[in-house]
Amino acid sequence: MPKQRFSSVAAAGAAVLLVLAGAAAHAAGDPRRGADVFATECAECHSVKAGKDKKGPSLFAVLGRPSAANPDFVYSDAMRTSGIVWTAERLDAYVTAPKRVMPGGKMKYDGLADAAERADLLAFLAAQH
Amino acid sequence: MKTLLHRIRIHRTRLAALFTLLALGLAAGDAAAVPSFARQTGQDCVACHIGAYGPQLTPYGIRFKLGAYTDSDGKDGKVPLSAMLLGGFTHTAKGQAEAPTDRTGTNNNLVLDQASLFVAGRANDYIGAFLQSTYTGADNTFALDNADVRMARTLDYGGTDVTVGLSVHNTPGMQDPFNTLPAWRFPYVSSSVAPEPVAAPLFDGGLEQHVTGLSAYTFINDSVYAELGTYRALPAGALDTLGLGRDSYPGKLDRSTAYWRLAYFQDLKKSAFSAGVFGFDTGIDPSGDGSGLSDGYRDLGIDAHYQFLGTREHIATVNASYIREHQSRDATFAAGGADNRSGQLNEFNLNASYTYDQTWGFTAGRFMIQGSRDATLYGDGSASGSPDSAGYVLQADWTPWGKEGSWNSPWANLRVGLQYTMYDRFNGARHNYDGNGSDASDNDTLYLFLWTSF
Ligand code: HEC
Repeated sequence: MPKQRFSSVAAAGAAVLLVLAGAAAHAAGDPRRGADVFATECAECHSVKAGKDKKGPSLFAVLGRPSAANPDFVYSDAMRTSGIVWTAERLDAYVTAPKRVMPGGKMKYDGLADAAERADLLAFLAAQH
Repeated sequence: MKTLLHRIRIHRTRLAALFTLLALGLAAGDAAAVPSFARQTGQDCVACHIGAYGPQLTPYGIRFKLGAYTDSDGKDGKVPLSAMLLGGFTHTAKGQAEAPTDRTGTNNNLVLDQASLFVAGRANDYIGAFLQSTYTGADNTFALDNADVRMARTLDYGGTDVTVGLSVHNTPGMQDPFNTLPAWRFPYVSSSVAPEPVAAPLFDGGLEQHVTGLSAYTFINDSVYAELGTYRALPAGALDTLGLGRDSYPGKLDRSTAYWRLAYFQDLKKSAFSAGVFGFDTGIDPSGDGSGLSDGYRDLGIDAHYQFLGTREHIATVNASYIREHQSRDATFAAGGADNRSGQLNEFNLNASYTYDQTWGFTAGRFMIQGSRDATLYGDGSASGSPDSAGYVLQADWTPWGKEGSWNSPWANLRVGLQYTMYDRFNGARHNYDGNGSDASDNDTLYLFLWTSF
């Protein structure tokens, strides 16, 4: 049935377009989706409230901040002496593979492989200030 | 149907007194359970527990337990003390033939089911403990309840984390990190004054708090869990000292008593699951001096759990376990306590829960116990000699605190719940199971509870 075949091709095309559109949106990073990523991946250890430390330090206004800048939090030696400033690129790299960026660090997190989710997450963190 | 949390009964006046104490503690804002773990780690209850209240563990909680309760926020001066109160109102469809204790009536009992003190926390980077002692109002005793002291280290083998640990504990299975084995499975609390089926496998509460177990475990790459352990019965004198009573001595456990466990676990962040097998093998010599005949128990189990965690706004869990027990009853048979030298007893448990916003929880569970008949062994309660019981447990609960920004966090937590247990089979039959006209559904139990820890 040619008509049906056509409609399935159209559907497939539409799906591809949707995926592309989605990818474009991801590249910019959607802070609303990023809030969900944060809730799933980070929130058990981090709060975005200023001064609220959990297992990890508060991530309020973390973007642009030097690492280990929270005087109330007990960081690892590796983090304290790293000299990292949390630019978007450094944060993205850290969240991708914490142990690689910070050998000897104490963030027990395996990393977030999905680039689109990281983009959303960074957009969310950028909005916390 | 035996949970660890159902030993204690206290009269109404004591209930009132203890609740007053609790209120004072909260008002002082200074109560320290196991919020003591929350204080040690800087974490909220939700990090380790589904629905912000113990004992159902999240992947984070599983790792914390296997890490020997040692994780911390790196700050000193934490006091590893907690307390817990569980009280409730119990209504059964029909009044019980006899009052469950001499301080209660045959129905509609308001009792303090449990008042516990915990030492729960880390000693150093490798050693931590979870020790509970519980006050029992009904017989006015204070006894050691759950106890688990463990030591663990996590080693790095070329990027793969391998945790190795030892646990010394007093209830077989309580050291397990999943909420599928009897020690920590749903229902997590139950009334201490409700009727209970006559039979359950030994691994389901038969030796709780009456043994000392030593087990070694490993947790490889956050996924493979393996454990091997053995148990000895506490001597009658020690049971006496611990407040459990000399008469509760179970007998001497065979030297070859063994527990083994293998499970596969995955934490996918948005979800988590495990599947495993376990076995418990022992011989018990009731004479206690190793001279007499023994009863042998061989329990084999399989279990699995799944958690949908998502953004933690909607959480769903499913837990399942099946235990097959083979009994060889040489000692009991010789003493005239059973008609058959051997028998079978199997137990199936399945439950599913949904939690909204880490606050509102709904759980439905199915339980089934099935075994071979023995008119003498099960005669006390079952007219047919059948140990079969089955039913459902439904629970709705509300846990207002235990989350980021909660009132008094990390000092106090509270759960209020309504639990309904329905039997479609009790001690062998649906109708007239005891020969006196009692129906299984007469034991249907409504339990309204208030559970708090600080
Ligand atoms: C298991 C707990 C845990 C999880 C999950 C976790 N973190 Fe961390 N995080 C930590 C700890 C602990 C530290 C301190 C690390 C150190 O001192 O080496 C930390 C440090 C950080 C820092 C450095 C902060 C500073 O003040 O320098 C950033 C940024 C960070 N985490 C981001 C994240 C993000 C984003 C996520 C989610 C994708 C995440 N973390 C997930 C525990 C966690």
